[in-house]
Amino acid sequence: MQTTSTTGRLRAVLGTAAALSVLVLAACSSDGSDTEASDEMSEPATDSTGDEMMEAVDITVGVIPILDVAPLYLGIQEGFFEEEGLNLTTELAQGGAAIVPGVQSGQFEFGFSNTTSLILAVSNDLGIQAVGPGVSTTGDASADFGGIVTAADSGITGPADLEGKKVAVNTLNNINTSTINKMVEDAGGDPSTITYVELAFPDIVPAVASGDVDAGQVVEPFLTVAAGQDLVNIGSNYAATDPSLMIAEYFTSDDYAAENPDAVAAFQAALQRSFEYATENPDAVRAVLAEYTSMDEATQAAVTLPAWPTEIDSNTVDLLAELAVNDGFLTEVPDLSALK
Amino acid sequence: MSSSPPTLAPTRRAAGPRPRRRGRRTDAWLGVAGVFIVLAGSELLSRTGIVNPDFLPPVTEMYASLFGLLGEADFWESLWLTVRGWAIGLAAAMALGIVVGFVIGSIPFLRAFTNSTIEFLRPIPSVALIPLVVLLFGTQPQSAFLLVLYAAFWQVLVQVLYGVADVDPVARDTARSYRFGPLRVARSVIYPTALPYIMTAFRLAAAVALILEITAELVIGVPGLGRDIGIAQSSGNVPETYALVIVVGLIGVGVNMFARLVERKALWWHPSVRSETP
Repeated sequence: MQTTSTTGRLRAVLGTAAALSVLVLAACSSDGSDTEASDEMSEPATDSTGDEMMEAVDITVGVIPILDVAPLYLGIQEGFFEEEGLNLTTELAQGGAAIVPGVQSGQFEFGFSNTTSLILAVSNDLGIQAVGPGVSTTGDASADFGGIVTAADSGITGPADLEGKKVAVNTLNNINTSTINKMVEDAGGDPSTITYVELAFPDIVPAVASGDVDAGQVVEPFLTVAAGQDLVNIGSNYAATDPSLMIAEYFTSDDYAAENPDAVAAFQAALQRSFEYATENPDAVRAVLAEYTSMDEATQAAVTLPAWPTEIDSNTVDLLAELAVNDGFLTEVPDLSALK
Repeated sequence: MSSSPPTLAPTRRAAGPRPRRRGRRTDAWLGVAGVFIVLAGSELLSRTGIVNPDFLPPVTEMYASLFGLLGEADFWESLWLTVRGWAIGLAAAMALGIVVGFVIGSIPFLRAFTNSTIEFLRPIPSVALIPLVVLLFGTQPQSAFLLVLYAAFWQVLVQVLYGVADVDPVARDTARSYRFGPLRVARSVIYPTALPYIMTAFRLAAAVALILEITAELVIGVPGLGRDIGIAQSSGNVPETYALVIVVGLIGVGVNMFARLVERKALWWHPSVRSETP
């Protein structure tokens, strides 16, 4: 007869529960962030005009792990943000859907998102404003960082041939569908006959290669992957819409901008320097990709880099808003001054 | 002594092939062989080009990428974050589920009162709560914690309710006639009956918690292995995507083995565990 077994077992369970609760308490109090942080500033930083600032401001930028945000990482690497008095950490999210709420709630001070999504956010009064351009098309329809790919034997040689076809895009009713519609219309086709299918970028190339869809819009590095699958690039929908189309912007919340105008100005200045540096040093851009993406070296060398303009292109904002209204997923053009 | 009546079962074994009892070791080797056959089949499919090798790389390439990952500090940090998130969510779900289950199960009025609420909330997939959780916590680990807690809690609660309901009424009445207080009843009557159910709950909740943790990381971008899978995917690095998926699968196997070990240790007295050893 084992009369002490119950007590022994109870002690074991209580002991385990105590250990677990200690673990829970310890873990809950520790910081869970694993972002790539720049060096801690221990002394006051000076901004670009030489004035001393009180102390480095901690800011977090919500970004997606894509090619477009490489200059941000370059800027951290080269110390441009440090010199402006900003202690910048990046937080990788899986999609823009997590970044806009993050900026609104204050989890991020700044975020990166495509222009059409920002127009939709402004039309819903989400209280955000743009602080700088994010990425632009190179302007060359055949050598851009985005494009429409199709199988070599699909019979599609130009945008007008997309009529009545199934086209895969990564988000429905957003910048890609708007710009493809405009591209098809300008080429004389009827975009309302196109059937759009929503697939994530990594899934679009296999779908086009296997014939599940007739064509797909992808951005780098999937343009390179598509070329590896012997798919044909019939042109960049971005460049065809406007040679200086600004596809994304960096933004912040109205509250943060009102309370921290200096930090916003510092961010804008450092961002501009980062963009200039990135434009002059494409090899550095390719090298920094290894830091935050998992692209292998061959892909890093082969991708077409986008353009990083130093100023917001206001025309793009108006154009994209107009296209959104034409396509019907925006009821009317809102006040876009916050994005210009 | 009277001779055994003819209706009893014969004392000698019937002539014929004796059923061979496979040992546990043979079972383990058979399992390994099965995995090996699947891997070899996948390698063949890829190498011969039946499946596009760019999208299903050969198994050797996947494992080469996996070994490459083992040398990166970021990988180990992501692994730690995933395991930590899983463990915290699971522990909280177990604790909450056991306490709530004991309380609800012991009070018939509460049981009737919460029955339809539980049946309504239980089938809601945690994944459907992702947009809510993103609004609250964004990409912070708390998002994953909430999802894991929600999914695992119901597994535990339902099993504990069954366990409490399974208490032998004779034992319960004996405890009452000995005038045991509620805590003593819980400890000596309800707890031993409920323990096998709690262990089943632990095994189910452990698996569900891992699924939700990886899902939260993959879809939202909470730091961890799931997010690394998403990054590998959006970088077009197919071998690394598969390598990370293999790692997650191995974690799942580890979680299951750990759950079974805990079950054997805690239930060493239970007939189901006792009769397993040949």
